[in-house]
Amino acid sequence: MIDANGERRDGFIPASYDGASGGASARDVARLLRSLAGHADAPQAVSASDERPLEVAALDANPPRLEAATPIEGAFAARAVPGAPIAGFRAFLDGIQVSRVAGRWPDGLPIVHGTVAAVVRRRNDGELATWQGAPRLLRGVFLPFSLTGAARLAAFEHAGIRLIDTLDGDVATGPRHPSELLAVARTAVQRQREALELALAEAWIADGDGPLYVDGGIASSGTASRADGAIGVVKSHRTLYAGGDSLGVVLTLAEGARTTGFEIRSPRRTGVASWYLRLRAAEGMDPFFGLVRVEVARDTFATARADEVSRWVLAERAPVSLPDKRWSTMAYGIRNCEEYLRAVTGRE
Amino acid sequence: MSVLGRIVATERRPNTPHEFHFWTAIDSPVGIGTIVRVEGANAVNGAMPRTYGVVTEGFSYTDLETPLHDVLGHDGSPSNAVAAPTRRTEVRLYSAAVLRHVPEEPLQPVGSGTVHLASDEDVNIALRMDGYLKAGESTGIPVGMYRAGATASPVFLDADFLLGPEAAHLNISGVSGLATKTSAVEWLLASIFAHFPERKGKVAAVCFNVKGPDLCFLDQPATKLDDADRALYAAMGVPAEPFQHVEYFAPYTARGYALNTLRSNEALSHNVRPLSWGLREVLQYAEVLLNKDDIDAKADALIDFIKERVVDQPFTDAVLSGEHRVASFGELEAWFRDLLRGMEAKNAEQWRTHHVATIRKVRNRLTNISTRCRGLVTDDGSVSDLPFGAFRDRGVYVVDVANLEDDAQDLIFARIVSQLREHLEKRTLGVEHVVVFVDELNKYAPSDGPDTYVRAMLLDIAERGRYLGLVLFAAQQFRSQVHRRVVGNCGTALFGRMDPDELATPGYATLSPSTRTKLSTLEKGQLMVRHPHFAQPVFVRFPRPAVLSGREGVERFPQAEEPTLEAAITRSLRALEPTVTLDWVKETIALADEDEALRARNRTLQARPEDVKSYFRAQLKRRVGGERVPLPPRPALKATPADDPYGF
Repeated sequence: MIDANGERRDGFIPASYDGASGGASARDVARLLRSLAGHADAPQAVSASDERPLEVAALDANPPRLEAATPIEGAFAARAVPGAPIAGFRAFLDGIQVSRVAGRWPDGLPIVHGTVAAVVRRRNDGELATWQGAPRLLRGVFLPFSLTGAARLAAFEHAGIRLIDTLDGDVATGPRHPSELLAVARTAVQRQREALELALAEAWIADGDGPLYVDGGIASSGTASRADGAIGVVKSHRTLYAGGDSLGVVLTLAEGARTTGFEIRSPRRTGVASWYLRLRAAEGMDPFFGLVRVEVARDTFATARADEVSRWVLAERAPVSLPDKRWSTMAYGIRNCEEYLRAVTGRE
Repeated sequence: MSVLGRIVATERRPNTPHEFHFWTAIDSPVGIGTIVRVEGANAVNGAMPRTYGVVTEGFSYTDLETPLHDVLGHDGSPSNAVAAPTRRTEVRLYSAAVLRHVPEEPLQPVGSGTVHLASDEDVNIALRMDGYLKAGESTGIPVGMYRAGATASPVFLDADFLLGPEAAHLNISGVSGLATKTSAVEWLLASIFAHFPERKGKVAAVCFNVKGPDLCFLDQPATKLDDADRALYAAMGVPAEPFQHVEYFAPYTARGYALNTLRSNEALSHNVRPLSWGLREVLQYAEVLLNKDDIDAKADALIDFIKERVVDQPFTDAVLSGEHRVASFGELEAWFRDLLRGMEAKNAEQWRTHHVATIRKVRNRLTNISTRCRGLVTDDGSVSDLPFGAFRDRGVYVVDVANLEDDAQDLIFARIVSQLREHLEKRTLGVEHVVVFVDELNKYAPSDGPDTYVRAMLLDIAERGRYLGLVLFAAQQFRSQVHRRVVGNCGTALFGRMDPDELATPGYATLSPSTRTKLSTLEKGQLMVRHPHFAQPVFVRFPRPAVLSGREGVERFPQAEEPTLEAAITRSLRALEPTVTLDWVKETIALADEDEALRARNRTLQARPEDVKSYFRAQLKRRVGGERVPLPPRPALKATPADDPYGF
């Protein structure tokens, strides 16, 4: 058994993380809503089984897009990663989020309960264990404060339920479509998750224990995006940093090959160096099968560094993370993080 | 103590009052048979519950959904597995059977909590040994050492439930040749002798050696005890020594010269005694040797008449030529011969209501016994028996029946057990408790087949023996083939390595598949123990017996060659009188025939007189020395007559 400090301690098992104590659960919120029934302006509780999580609802209106990127390693091209894959990551970071409509007020304003959690799973001698002994967890009710009204908010505060403003302090002008409010709530939940992941990543980097495999990009983290200890691996490609001929280069990458590096810049995010890497052969498959995009700090980028990191990422193809549907691009360590978080947050 | 695991209960696999589940780290020292303690997380009636259990089943699985996923993940090549930098998440999940709840009431399902390896004290509580291991009142008999991780705890049986009166009897099952049955009994007898409380009375053992030299060297020290064995003896407080007082009994061979035993080496003859019975002893158990076809009501009546009116008393009848005094098979045969001759002379078909055909039949069957059991049954009525009435405390009496016919074995078993029972009932045996060890129980008390006298006797011991102090330790390879009432009445059961086919029989259905697997792969010296105090069977390890094994014994003490008549008598008498020499015996029996010499030897051995030589000599027929008479002078072949006319 590996303890929180990475030490092997035979027969010692740290106390399991008690997910139920990490803030207000969906059941707590449902209980409150039931207690409010009969009052004027009482919200209508919604059964958890009646509502799908917002994460699986079709709320995202942003269409997939192509975006230009600046080459930093010569002309955009494919190149084989030299050398054999080798384990280089010390730990894996991932987070999860689950949000559901817990109830609605008579005016259609949705009451969204959200759970977000993040964890670093540190690897020692092939075994993964939770870094610092526990994950970061947040549970609460996500509401647009300026549309909800003080009286309604007070009922939640009085019950000790944590409230998060989906508008992030903005004042809404006029009523909004309930579906729009749900999308806003989901984005707010996502922001909370990213904040937890960010905090964990920065803590890890401060600890300086070795390369960290981050699920997703690192550009949103000021510290992580500038440090060589965090490597982001992006599995989804709704935004493709390729255009023209370079799109074909990306989509036809061979197994074990990468593109040359390019820089991604964004007004609200730190610039990072990135490249595409094909983890598994995609002949006859979807062009995104086994395709990931790797992000590292811009200042640390060099061809040798990109090859080394690519070898690290390629090494994480085994063990395969089946039965997860994203297995072609998901490292086993990331799946392990998700399984761990699902176990400790329980069924919401 | 560190936490070993955590209780888990799911809807599919809930915990119950008699079973619970827990997971552990991959490298935990838990295995099938491990005893664990559960520290409950929620108080019941103000007390934190503790539960003790023994692991009965184990599961291991990973987060894989199907094996195919792993095949795909390694591109179909097992050797690719070494390249994986992360080991797949793997679970060790165990099921345990509850041994004890503390407090006992209310009896509830095992709740959530932490699981710990049982300590010495936990093992005592879990197996309820705390009830009979109280200082000064202990009735504990060590049966073996329970081991798990760093824990090594002696496991004790309760003497009141092993030797009576609460429960009694022990049954041992196991395949042959793996040091299970005989070794376990030898170890357990040593343990009983070392720990049986004096206040409970004296205890002895009668062991029937039914095959090979298994029990022939109980008084000789073992040669293969290693440090681990000695440590086990020390930990359980049993001296690693052979038995101090052992006596061997065996019938003679058919020729009657030597005893029919593998313990025939002269160096070990000092405590080997003949086992021989005369007519009176055998007639008491005639039904053992006579089957139901033999003993109809008419024959039974005649046998009873002979037992009550003929044997050991003067008997006269008008039909008979004279008075008979029947004390041996030879004299019985003479009586029958005279009776039948008398009836023929009078042309009578009936004699005292007995038909001549019945008389002939009974004569045939009874006189045939001495032929069928030759060596055990003597024609001359001499008796050499176990020392009923003078049994020694902690004494072992081995009766070697290994080379005898089934009939003789049955007769020996029936008579000795009956004698033990009678003496125990009268409290005249010399000890209050006797352990009777019988191997190959499936032969003597089979679950099917005819209802024999021996089986009925074993059933009687099993069902009623504990009140008398008559305790049956029985062993067999296949428990399923032994009469259910015999094994059912054994309070304690030991299981060594078992045959998988035997484990597939219904009697083992209560054991988990893993427990059955463990039973079929047990190492030498390991046992599974069932005892009335133990809610579940537990696994223990016992040391090698501190006595010489049969196999080593016959190598170290080779069997003596069949001796000559003179040498056999010399060897027998020398055990009583060391000055007896072969020349003396030759000279003494020079004029005696073989039967007479053997009879004299048997009587001397039975009487064990002070002056062995005189007594032996006195048993031989007195013979008057011949007087030499001078021959008359021979006439010459040729003599000249005085009146020879020819004048030669």
